[in-house]
Amino acid sequence: MPQDLKGILGRLKYTDDAHVVEQITEHMKAVKSRMARVRRKLVVMSGKGGVGKSMTTVNLALAFARQGDRVGVLDVDLNGPCVPKMLGMRGQRFEMTPEGAMPPIGPLGIKVGSMDFFLNESAPVQWKGPMDLSPVWLGLTEMNVIREFIADIVWGELDYLLTDLPPGAAADKPPVIAGFIPELDGAIMVTTPSEMASDVVQKSIAYARDLGIKVLGMVENMSRYRCPHCGIESDLFEGDTEMMCQALDLPLLGRIPFDPALARSFDKGLPLLDVDSSIVKRYDEIVTRVKSLLDYKKIMARQL
Amino acid sequence: MKFVCMKCETYMNFEKVEKPGEGSLGVFFGCPSCGARFTMVTNPGETQMVSSLGVQLGGRAAPAEAFEMTRGGLRADGAGQADMANYLTEHYSDTQASTAPTGEGEPEKKSGGCPFSAVVAQMGLGSSTETRADTSEFEWTADALDRLEKTPSFVRPMIKGGIEAYARKQGFKKINLQVMDDSKNVPAGIPWSPAAEKRLENIPDFIRPMARKEIERIAQERGAAQITEAIMEEAKTKFVNFM
Repeated sequence: MPQDLKGILGRLKYTDDAHVVEQITEHMKAVKSRMARVRRKLVVMSGKGGVGKSMTTVNLALAFARQGDRVGVLDVDLNGPCVPKMLGMRGQRFEMTPEGAMPPIGPLGIKVGSMDFFLNESAPVQWKGPMDLSPVWLGLTEMNVIREFIADIVWGELDYLLTDLPPGAAADKPPVIAGFIPELDGAIMVTTPSEMASDVVQKSIAYARDLGIKVLGMVENMSRYRCPHCGIESDLFEGDTEMMCQALDLPLLGRIPFDPALARSFDKGLPLLDVDSSIVKRYDEIVTRVKSLLDYKKIMARQL
Repeated sequence: MKFVCMKCETYMNFEKVEKPGEGSLGVFFGCPSCGARFTMVTNPGETQMVSSLGVQLGGRAAPAEAFEMTRGGLRADGAGQADMANYLTEHYSDTQASTAPTGEGEPEKKSGGCPFSAVVAQMGLGSSTETRADTSEFEWTADALDRLEKTPSFVRPMIKGGIEAYARKQGFKKINLQVMDDSKNVPAGIPWSPAAEKRLENIPDFIRPMARKEIERIAQERGAAQITEAIMEEAKTKFVNFM
């Protein structure tokens, strides 16, 4: 007579004797404990690649730091980390201590965590393991590596931690990575005015909202082109981010024109720090708006 | 993962892990009742999945070091990739792959390209240009149409619908740039008293629209006919309580 497995299992008490569940629970506790010392946790995402997420993340971090905040940047674009290069920090390494990994410190005291700190120059990320079966395990490996980036870096007390997410939309990794961060305060979306970018960004917003991630607003990057010779700005793309924001009920946090000088400067690892620069001022304005949105309830309670 | 001894109707206990070869794990289990033992042996893909979890089967003797998995998982060179290719060649021939079940007895369905195309078409998310104003009951001026066409395709139907709803309400037959602009500022359904409106000005410009929306939502919940100072006070109390 065939045995009733369901009945047997119903009578048994599960024990975690391989200690797997226990260790995964410990991982989550470690993430929570590390993040508890960070006052505000933000992710910068897009869905579309090449719109300037990292450039936006770095400049927002610099703007927060200029306003006196203690800032960390977590670059979780594992396969294309570029935050260290932009901040002139290539070649630096984490310092491993019993408390965790001490992050290298960049301009204006910004603490940075990036895969780049594990790699030799020009070396790609390559994992041990059977690459011909990578669809089975690579996603899981990357998610747990990101978990280590969140849990193992000794950030200390921070006012803001900005996480630069990799590109990807819809049921892809970025919104899931964002879901890893406990008590996430919100996501800043980056787009260009091109229809192609806007289409993908919208999917990312929809997916993020489905996961309960609060989308704070949109930064329009490469909104216009600033001629390095005459300073006149012209359109780069045809599109209307403002109207898209209205349709999505999302604040437009600011517009950043494409400036070849800015791009060159970051390519050389020389971040723009000149407080008189019009671009720097625009990032400062965006950060002020982000702070207003984050402190919305406080402002309402105080000023209404 | 757990194993059940069907003879004794009890869970088998995890005993130990051994590494019988490169890319493989042997996980030992024993029945606490009859003493039966067996070992589960993983293939390289399964082994990698276990190590991707960042756990040690059986528990840890010492706490994990920072970036243990990241540092341990990064490969310095291209070595070690041939093992799995050899494994697959040995265990899974082309014949097996080509004789995979195809639903014998069922007529083969003809491929129609993208399997989701029908769903996409049903949802109206295709790349059609149906949002152009030529299907509209309104006459769109060329410059208004140009502006509409510049909006991202995925929000265009929503924007167009909003503008036309406004035009319909106002009794307009033609939609020009002015109508488009005016449609953005449609007044809310609930009127604001001058005192409440004045008080809203205390909120910084950038978050004022959010504040307005939130206060109107509170008023709607209360069934209020107007946004008054009392409603403003209630909203303030609500936000004070949040802090």
